[in-house]
Amino acid sequence: MKLERKDFLTMIGGAVVGTGVGTLISPGPWMGLQWLVEWTQDQYRPPKGEEKYLASICDQCPNKCTVQVRMIGDRAVKIETSNQGCAAGQLLLQVLYHPERVKTPLKRTGKKGKIDFEPVSWESAIADISKKLNDAINNKKQDQIVAINPAFPDATAMLNERIALFAGSPHVYQESGYWALSNACSVATQKTEGAIDYDFENADCVVSFGARLFEGWGNPGRMHKVLNIWKQKGVKFIQVDSIATRTASLADQWVAIKPGSEPIFAMGVAHYLLKYGRRSGAANFGRFTELLINKFTPEKVSELSGASLETIESVAKALLAARRPVAVAGKGGKVVSSSVAEFAIVQTINSMIGSLGNSVKVVTFTTPAKPAIAKKTKGLDEYIASDMTCDIVLINNANPVYSSVYGQRLSEKLKKASTVVLFTSLLNDTAQYADYIFPTLTSLELPYTGQAVTARFEAKHAGDSLLAIAKNTSNIAAQFPWNSYLDVVKTVSFQTKNVANLDIPIDNIIAKLEELEKLLQASGSYSISMVPFEIPVVGEGNGIALPYVLKALPNTILKGDTSWVWMNPVTASKEGISEGSKIDIESSRGELDTVRVHLTKRVAYDTVAMPIGFGHEELTEYGSEKGVNPKPIMSDALDPLSGYADWWLTRVKLS
Amino acid sequence: MATMTRRWGMVIDLDKCTGCGACNIACAQENNLPIFKDDSDVPKRVTFLDLIEVTNDKDPKAQYPDVKVAYIPKMCQQCSGNDPNNPQPPCVSVCPVVATDVGDDGVVSQIWSRCIGCRYCQVACPYEARVFHWWKPRYEGSFKESLNPDVSIASRGTMVKCTFCSHIWKRERDKAIAQGVTDINAVMYTPACANACPTNAIIFGDLNDPSSPVYEPKLQKDPRAVRLVHSIDELRTKDPSEYEKRIKIKEYPNPKVYYLTSQQWLRDKISGFKNS
Repeated sequence: MKLERKDFLTMIGGAVVGTGVGTLISPGPWMGLQWLVEWTQDQYRPPKGEEKYLASICDQCPNKCTVQVRMIGDRAVKIETSNQGCAAGQLLLQVLYHPERVKTPLKRTGKKGKIDFEPVSWESAIADISKKLNDAINNKKQDQIVAINPAFPDATAMLNERIALFAGSPHVYQESGYWALSNACSVATQKTEGAIDYDFENADCVVSFGARLFEGWGNPGRMHKVLNIWKQKGVKFIQVDSIATRTASLADQWVAIKPGSEPIFAMGVAHYLLKYGRRSGAANFGRFTELLINKFTPEKVSELSGASLETIESVAKALLAARRPVAVAGKGGKVVSSSVAEFAIVQTINSMIGSLGNSVKVVTFTTPAKPAIAKKTKGLDEYIASDMTCDIVLINNANPVYSSVYGQRLSEKLKKASTVVLFTSLLNDTAQYADYIFPTLTSLELPYTGQAVTARFEAKHAGDSLLAIAKNTSNIAAQFPWNSYLDVVKTVSFQTKNVANLDIPIDNIIAKLEELEKLLQASGSYSISMVPFEIPVVGEGNGIALPYVLKALPNTILKGDTSWVWMNPVTASKEGISEGSKIDIESSRGELDTVRVHLTKRVAYDTVAMPIGFGHEELTEYGSEKGVNPKPIMSDALDPLSGYADWWLTRVKLS
Repeated sequence: MATMTRRWGMVIDLDKCTGCGACNIACAQENNLPIFKDDSDVPKRVTFLDLIEVTNDKDPKAQYPDVKVAYIPKMCQQCSGNDPNNPQPPCVSVCPVVATDVGDDGVVSQIWSRCIGCRYCQVACPYEARVFHWWKPRYEGSFKESLNPDVSIASRGTMVKCTFCSHIWKRERDKAIAQGVTDINAVMYTPACANACPTNAIIFGDLNDPSSPVYEPKLQKDPRAVRLVHSIDELRTKDPSEYEKRIKIKEYPNPKVYYLTSQQWLRDKISGFKNS
């Protein structure tokens, strides 16, 4: 067949048109476009894999909630908490996969005060620390060894304590918090070790003197269950507080008082209980009664606390009308600041209403036998404030340079120490003064339940590192017979007991109330009260290192890198302050970096409500230099019975 | 395979919400939400579920201490529109590329990869529940390890929002089919926020199921129930004829998320921002 030029061109044209149309109606161009879009945007596709669930626990508080970890291949992609626990369980993956996690032991290379480390082998780090411990013991310098633990006890804290005690050091401390403060009260008033434990589940009336029960207080997982129980049973809940917190709004009655006057308000309630015939068999109750009658009359309490006589009486009557009433002490959320005197006043109320040793118990942390060494100072703050020096400091999952109001002074002490060892998964403020950093595994990476996510690094849990150090220290090795941290976990437990006896520390109470009275009536330049509040997801401050936490923060607390404090519009107007104003806050201890003001009627008059948990010098790129940390200007008045500063109320001036 | 009869909905008891943030974190983890260092700045952050802190302190009559605070977990309200046969929520009717649509389960879908980023839906949404990716999502270093393969990573320049975690429903359906269960209505699921809520304040279920706590006809009569910026609901009993007239307007949202509270100030705030 002869092919004409015209036919040839028609065929070519047809082929071109056909190919074009075919291509256009095929998925080709669209797939190509999609590929181009993905390529230009470098779009990431999470790898797929076999799905399975691992049983694990969340070890962020003593509640130890069980969680299910959704695994895709060897990656953990979700924590299923199944309507229990709190936000901490959901955040476990942010800790597990945090890009700034410490991967190997680190040794300081530069001067203290900076993050300047190099990796070092486990063996050499452990050998060096053990040698220093042995040398201190052999040279009779045991009192230069200090162990610092986090606010709640656990098996790791027990090991840290055990190293110091068996080395012969009296210096074992934990960060300030509910456990340390209420334990100090139990020791001072009931001659027993252990934190105060309230039977919330069976109570029918609860009066909380500043304890923000549903904002991170105590064991949040337990408290969330308690809220449901109270809603179902119609438990009467009264919150005493100076800020309209969420706990106050969840309560049946919010008693608004002047900031820091919770102990005085409690005295008023005790006065009415006395008036209505309630007595206590507690030692010193006679003198306590005299104090109520002669000094803390309802009128006086009303004047100092700002609550009306009717309100004080109504709280007493609510306690009297209940079958299982409970009065709760421990101001704050996850971070608690109080004094033994305040706890003791509330315990006296519990004694007067028949709840002590009944609905109010003591929970002890039982550990293997340990030597009893007389303490030289009671609490961490007292130790820091003292002139005592330290040389070997073992800091277990704590950040005392940030959390203590004496943080600056502690950093000076740590600078002079030869061996500061910090066990942490993320570098924090205290790491700036550490000589060694030991990484620690998250609870997901430990087979507590027989199952675990594969450890991301050749890291050990802090408990295993402490155990290794102890076993390598010949002078104390025999006291550590366990093979692994999981063996140690089995040796500790929490046990609740009824303790009904009470020895009221009356002289301490009188002194504390006199100090508080002066503080509440202070005039002159420091005319404003500063009280703290916190966001549950941030808590004591560790939460801010986890980026998803940033998504949960309201702009009225942190905007960008700036902290916002809260103030009542009436007070602000008096001070010439408007919404968004930049102010400087100054106390007798110093001045804070500039903050901005959010005006809200949620705050008492003549008061600044200060968010805590922010303003880290060092806590990953997400948490560093975000907002301000008010601890350096907060009250550093030491409580003589607990050895901790009661920093709840600070008098400040604004400029 | 049976016809889908379920309509997913949610009820959130604000009187049980402590503002703990577990729902917000669980949502972010489940849906691969991007990570930005300045996520502490609300206008810049990408979230599907905002935990909004609200108070009555802007009420001129409110004075300390007669002030309260509450939290509203706010996600896409999964609007139904006013035509059950052709649901047209405000966002769906404006999308020029059908990147957002209503499924037969009532969930308003959002297909990131189909979105052209015109943001009409964001403007149309009465609840500010849609978020635009101004920047390329970042998951620094090892955070990538925890990404969920069931949720695709959105590109820069696309709109994202809560889908009631419908990928979990798909996952559960796949599992059921693998076990031989082909009845689509037999498969239930729980979104990440509802599964995480430690006080059971967030309950998820079928609005059509009389045995469910989210049974819609029951919720409509519940004096504690209120829908977000939806004061029109008050007319249902007060002025039925006016109610019937108003629900016929084109942009009637008719959301499938109900809030419960006994607090009148909060009900006012949620339904129509009275006194605030």
